[in-house]
Amino acid sequence: MLRTLPPARLAAVLTLACGAICLMLAPVAPWVTKWPAGWTLPATEWIGAIVTAGLEAVKPAARLMADLLDYPMGWATWALTALPYPATIAATVALGLYLGGWRMASGGLAGLGFVLASGYWQPGMNTLALVVVSVPLALFAGAAIGIAAYERPRLRRPVQTCLDVMQTVPTFAYLTPLLVLFGFGPVVGLIASAIYAAPPMARNVLLGLERVEPDIREAAVMAGTTRRQQLFLIELPAAKRQIMVGVNQTIMAALSMVIIAAVIGGFDDIGWAVLLTMRKADFGNSLISGMVIVIFAVVIDRLSAALADDRPGTRLYGAFIILLAGFALSFLVGGLLPPAGDLALFNGLAAATDARLGAFTAAYGPALDALRNGAMFYGLLPLRIGLDQAVLPMTWGVQWTPLASAALFAAAGLAAAGLLWRGRFGWAVALLLATGIVETGIVDLPWPFVLFAAGAMGWVGGGPRLAGFALAMLMPILLMGLWAPAMLSLYLSGAAVIACALVGGALGLASAASPALWRVVLPVCDFLQTIPMFVFLIPVLMFFQIGEFSAFLAICAYAVVPMIRYTRHGLVSTPDEMIEAAVASGATGWQTFREVRAPYAVPQILLGLNQTILYAFSMLVIAALIGTTDLGQQIYLALGQGDVGLGLAAGAAMVMLALLADRLLQAFAAAQKAALGL
Amino acid sequence: MATDLSPSAAISCQNVWQVFGAKAPERLAEALASTGGDARRAAALLRAAGLIVAVQDVTFDVREGEVFVIMGLSGSGKSTLIRTLSRLIDGTAGRISIDGEDILAADPQRLIALRRDKLGMVFQHFGLFPHMTVTDNVSFPLKMQGKPAAERRTRALEVLELVGLKGREGAYPRQLSGGQRQRVGIARSLAVNPDLWFLDEPFSALDPLIKRQLQDEFLRLQADLKKTAVFITHDIDEAMKIADRIAILRDGMVVQIGTPEEILLNPVDDYVREFTRDVPKGRHAHVGSIMETPETLPRMPDDPKLQEGMTIDAALAACMALYQPVPVWASNGKMAGVVHPRDLAGALTADTP
Ligand SMILES: Nc1ncnc2c1ncn2[C@@H]1O[C@H](COP(=O)(O)OP(=O)(O)OP(=O)(O)O)[C@@H](O)[C@H]1O
Ligand SMILES: [Mg+2]
Repeated sequence: MLRTLPPARLAAVLTLACGAICLMLAPVAPWVTKWPAGWTLPATEWIGAIVTAGLEAVKPAARLMADLLDYPMGWATWALTALPYPATIAATVALGLYLGGWRMASGGLAGLGFVLASGYWQPGMNTLALVVVSVPLALFAGAAIGIAAYERPRLRRPVQTCLDVMQTVPTFAYLTPLLVLFGFGPVVGLIASAIYAAPPMARNVLLGLERVEPDIREAAVMAGTTRRQQLFLIELPAAKRQIMVGVNQTIMAALSMVIIAAVIGGFDDIGWAVLLTMRKADFGNSLISGMVIVIFAVVIDRLSAALADDRPGTRLYGAFIILLAGFALSFLVGGLLPPAGDLALFNGLAAATDARLGAFTAAYGPALDALRNGAMFYGLLPLRIGLDQAVLPMTWGVQWTPLASAALFAAAGLAAAGLLWRGRFGWAVALLLATGIVETGIVDLPWPFVLFAAGAMGWVGGGPRLAGFALAMLMPILLMGLWAPAMLSLYLSGAAVIACALVGGALGLASAASPALWRVVLPVCDFLQTIPMFVFLIPVLMFFQIGEFSAFLAICAYAVVPMIRYTRHGLVSTPDEMIEAAVASGATGWQTFREVRAPYAVPQILLGLNQTILYAFSMLVIAALIGTTDLGQQIYLALGQGDVGLGLAAGAAMVMLALLADRLLQAFAAAQKAALGL
Repeated sequence: MATDLSPSAAISCQNVWQVFGAKAPERLAEALASTGGDARRAAALLRAAGLIVAVQDVTFDVREGEVFVIMGLSGSGKSTLIRTLSRLIDGTAGRISIDGEDILAADPQRLIALRRDKLGMVFQHFGLFPHMTVTDNVSFPLKMQGKPAAERRTRALEVLELVGLKGREGAYPRQLSGGQRQRVGIARSLAVNPDLWFLDEPFSALDPLIKRQLQDEFLRLQADLKKTAVFITHDIDEAMKIADRIAILRDGMVVQIGTPEEILLNPVDDYVREFTRDVPKGRHAHVGSIMETPETLPRMPDDPKLQEGMTIDAALAACMALYQPVPVWASNGKMAGVVHPRDLAGALTADTP
């Protein structure tokens, strides 16, 4: 009978069978649930030894480079800190006026005014100095990679894969080997941010060049250009818009990474200020310093985005006058101005915020605690360790018993049978799997089952190749002995992704239905995507203290945006003819939605989900700062201990999980697209 | 057709193939070897193997100073052929020479020099540089020649005026209409005063009025400048109007080459006939193409003063009521031949099956 089943159903049935067998085996064969330590390869030590040896070999060169980079960094820091602040502000405002008109100029003025008044001018300028040096490096490296890949089509695939991997490598994982190479100091942050920020530039340069119309290319050839003239006089300028998008993304990535790199300390920058105040639970100040970061991000983003619009600047005069006035002011009366550091106008505000917050948590503490505990006990914990361990008299009021398990499975079995009888095969399997997972807990899932399920999904989505890829991504994690933290990562990101899918999907749906709502949601999404990841930690910490729930919330806040965007976009981009055809056939609004819009949007929504998963993974590492125990925490620990092996192994494990999720979802999105004939 | 690269021709191409797909040259050679050089069967073999045969065994000469039109349905390989001739893509097989020079053997340096000095091209989708103004676009080829800025500008303004774009010199391509863009493309290709002019459907994107206007302009320019032009179109009326000779392409293969009248009056097969079906033949064919020069002159009682270059329509109108052969006069006043009014009417219906 099995032979007559379609492959997808066969895979589902076999996966269920595998799960059931594992469940039955678990009591008698403990190796099924826990990968025995004896089977683990000392891979982390090997990696550590090999990489450390390699790093030692290039260390002299690296140190030389660090010394060389000290010069431009010194100059940038000097220029930004020694320059009187009226001049800096005037320069920003003038640039804003030139690029984006009065609105942008006044935005820049207000923003930098806030930074000055906050008393964080000095650390802010230190951060900017790092960005100023790392961005040109990243732009240059990225452009070189993009152009090389364009010129040598053979390189394109390897380069694309490399960029994919680089963008999924968790941010902290860069830092450990760089620390070994360059020693403590701001140079590590500089290099890390240049490495992290180069891929978007490379991608956009390549994309822009590939999109230059063939006729334009050939017109250049027919004019008798040499290859180099063609590239620099025609193709690169013709690709300018896309390249400027890359510049914008690179600058934002560099800023984000410079701030993250503050965790290694040793440099008085704004990221460090946030970290320090957070550790001291001085939330008033962490909020204000966080605001400074947000302001930098928004101002820099708007300025660099304006570069991409090729309206020629028309307000050159005004900009020049402002610049001149700023410099004149600082040199004429510079001595009379108070030093930037003394201008902590918001000290009172910070204290007041702290007091307010104290009062708020005192008043609503029980409610907040109840919210947190409720989510933990009834949502996150069962998902993590399963109902069999999460249901305790202390929390649920009852004790879980094997009998309860049996009853749960029996009920699920009955319901599944009912679904099956009504022809809902997929739902029946999903129900059974979900029951099994919730009963056991993701962390305690038997590894043979996880391998089998991933392989089966790969098989259904992309044939034997993808199945092989799935196994190749999971086996090393087992062998390196990182299975337990990896499953924790999977659980935490999984929980966040489910929440994001529900909330983001609903918001996307509502935004698609109501343009008015979208006008509110869009700027929020833009804002959430502009602010560096680090900042998300501040508000959750303020209200929910250190712990898994805070991490969960931070991840959700960061990862929900793509889900909203893609869902809405998928739903509103249904071609008009299709809608009209449905309406003309007499479909009601709801029927049109269910029969036409929703299926048409599925590939888009799957891509959004894919992005959400990748976002969740990258936030997972940042969330290690506020108390998680997963791979991210391993990477963070490795950073603290300078343990290159562990850092790289855990980073690689994370990359593999992310890549696996990415490829599986892409495959399903492609299949769905093909089914829709797109 | 010529079997040797003829040195006098402006462009001469011989057995040119363009096959897209992996290892195309090797597989084409194999296919030709296995079919004993039979192009049709070789092409069929390649197509069956999943390759795309865009140009198939094409041979023709373009004479100095003539307008050579390539016609064919969409996808018949016109653009591919012209791009192979200009070596924007490398042909899979065959020989191509320009002014007697084998351009397949030209090294990159030589190609660049050729393109700078000798060749001009108008692209189907304009190919304007989006980041340059109209003037900069037009003077770009001159810049590549190394001309000084002032001279470039003068020349650019000159050709822009020629195509009727005076006043739009400072605009960017995106600010222009489709017809204006195409005229910029034409101006750009003319800027260096090329000897050989490639035009890939230069007027297809235009509305009928502008199209007619630009065709007239093209003819005027051509009368003045006497360039050798390879002109692609899928519009038979346009081909009739401007061509000295027409090559008709079908699935990458040349099915007929001839003057507009030959194509019109003696189509070799149904494909060509189908092309010319809606062409008012009387308007395009000339008396000279159907007159006879018999050894002994027949009795000719009437003389409606037919000229050799008259269209058949005009000739018919002139001998409406005549049933005897009439003389045809050449432009120098001598008798050029004889035509029977019956044949005039017959020519119009000859190819109606
Ligand atoms: N680079 C390429 N790779 C593969 N196939 C190609 C390539 N360029 C053209 N072709 C194919 O060659 C055939 C001829 O294309 P071509 O562009 O020469 O047609 P065309 O006659 O110019 O048509 P149109 O009138 O639409 O411009 C088409 O089937 C096209 O798909
Ligand atoms: Mg074409």
